[in-house]
Amino acid sequence: MKRRILLGMLLAMMVVGLVSAQTATTASKKFTIATVVKVDGIAWFDRMREGVVKFGKDTGNTTFLLGPAKADAAEQVKIIEGLIAQKVDAICVVPFSPEALEPVLKKARDAGIIVISHEATNQQNIDYDIEAFVNEEYGAHMMDNLAKFMNYEGEYANFVGSLTSKSHNQWMDGAEARQKEKYPKMKLVSRRNEEYDDQNIAYQKTKELLTKYPNLKGILGSASTTAPGAGLAVEEAGLQNKVSVVGTSLVSSSGQYLKSGAVKMIFFWDPADAGYVMNKMALTLLTGGKITDGMNLGVKGYEKIKRDPQNPKVFYGQAWVDVTPANMNQYNF
Amino acid sequence: MKKLLQQHEFVVTIVFFLVVILIGAINPAFFSIGNIFSLLKSMIIRGILALGVLIVIISGNVDISFTAISAFAMYTTSKIMLALFPEGGLLLAFAIGGLIGLLLGSINASFVAGMKLPALIVSLGTSSAIRGFMLAFIGVKIINNLPASLIAYSRSYIAKFTDASGKIVTLPSAIIMLIAVTIIVWFILRYTMLGRGVYALGGDPVSTERAGFNIKAIQYFIYCFMGFLSGIAGVLHSVFMRNANPFDIVGTELIVIASVVLGGASITGGKGTVYGTLLGVAFTVLIENSLIIIGVPSYWQKVVIGLIIVVSTAASALREKFAKLEIS
Repeated sequence: MKRRILLGMLLAMMVVGLVSAQTATTASKKFTIATVVKVDGIAWFDRMREGVVKFGKDTGNTTFLLGPAKADAAEQVKIIEGLIAQKVDAICVVPFSPEALEPVLKKARDAGIIVISHEATNQQNIDYDIEAFVNEEYGAHMMDNLAKFMNYEGEYANFVGSLTSKSHNQWMDGAEARQKEKYPKMKLVSRRNEEYDDQNIAYQKTKELLTKYPNLKGILGSASTTAPGAGLAVEEAGLQNKVSVVGTSLVSSSGQYLKSGAVKMIFFWDPADAGYVMNKMALTLLTGGKITDGMNLGVKGYEKIKRDPQNPKVFYGQAWVDVTPANMNQYNF
Repeated sequence: MKKLLQQHEFVVTIVFFLVVILIGAINPAFFSIGNIFSLLKSMIIRGILALGVLIVIISGNVDISFTAISAFAMYTTSKIMLALFPEGGLLLAFAIGGLIGLLLGSINASFVAGMKLPALIVSLGTSSAIRGFMLAFIGVKIINNLPASLIAYSRSYIAKFTDASGKIVTLPSAIIMLIAVTIIVWFILRYTMLGRGVYALGGDPVSTERAGFNIKAIQYFIYCFMGFLSGIAGVLHSVFMRNANPFDIVGTELIVIASVVLGGASITGGKGTVYGTLLGVAFTVLIENSLIIIGVPSYWQKVVIGLIIVVSTAASALREKFAKLEIS
């Protein structure tokens, strides 16, 4: 019985797939753009779906977002295989493992499907890749804000999720370089503490840092767990007015510390915008347009995208979002 | 004196205080009240879990599912509280968490006692199943809006100071829970027939049964109690972190077990004390939370922790070997 239901569902899906492929070809200038993400059902990609759906509404094309139930490269491959069979016009993808997707993306492009990637500067079989920002620039931007809260002087410490996490370390490269160049009165006393994306470790290590460096004035976090962990330690110690915590985080995890003042400011990039601009790039190519250096994709932070001088397929925005207690209510993730 | 030296707890105590003095000599900030309170706070959850593990290890088994049970109880309790009793009190939260832990522990118990399977194998399976069930059916989203009663408890303390630099340091009230669990476990192991049974079971199960102990009942108690403590520790974790993250806790089981072994419990069963376990917990917490204070760079911290665990457990195993040689 169960098997029969499953079969029925599969058949129904195939019919729907065929019908949608048909409508895409018959009604001219209506395209089907699929967005494939690392994993479905988490807040980050739920937010990305909002951007993808909005793009469909804004332009009248069929857009949707899919992802495996768990973050797994093989599952992502299967989904993309399915999309190729469905003959979608373009695939936007946030790869879990860029290397693992190369063969299936090649297959997609051979079938004439446009492929746009995000968070994958080393992906080969794509038309273009769009990144929210240059990692070093983002780090420098966080440092500028930390410096402001610290009044441009005093001791600070920084965190990374792990010393092997590439993006976190690039952010901190940019941040440390900016501090040395522009804020000579600031001093990095404890460099790249690891917190393994664990709020509890961020909390413990911050407590230790506060003990070891009684004059500590700033903490800069990379993983989304550092700001709430460090914020909790600062709040418990009643040091909100002395120690400034800033870093990458989300309102859902750091909101209560933004409110209490233990975390001064958080940064992230909006996945809804990233989803929107991936689809926009795909549509531009589908309608015969070109992606050029300095182009405006019509979304805040992507008004003037920059081409990577080393890799012509990669473009960067400046799409970081600054969140303070004043604007935290705009973000529901 | 020789007899004293042969006692594992005595040796660990001496090494512990030597390390304390060494760290304090490198950085006197170690002895600040703030740091000591902070270390005590870090001992609470690990201590509660370790005391449960102690009983399991004395009985001659190893359970690794307690962190999965703990995470499950924490997350599910938060969900239940928010859905049904958003205004519910602290006691209710701990009761729900403890009950969930106890029920999950009874699953382990039914396999170990009912089917006579080794707990290590059983708990490998149950830990993965429990965690998977939670992530698949209960949720993966971090809960950031815990009931007010839990948040209030996270702010409550039994001692509070403001140090010279204006930093507020507090000793959380939850330390009372660790003290209570310590007394209960100590009492059970030392003064009850049940406790004798646990030691006997670890020493020689066959003789234990012949001596008239009800092995099944003892094992049911062991794993249900372990589950209960895991549930309590889980809820405490969410109190301390002020959120319920289903991905937390799991992954700490090895350091908890290492603390218990470091404290002199024999992994083959029949041996172990409450004092040794607390000392072992204090030791691992001390090492983990002092590396920044003595200035070990990030790159080296993991190496140092790993080495200390290897050396200390190897030392206790070797000493046991030598002790046996001397007797024979």
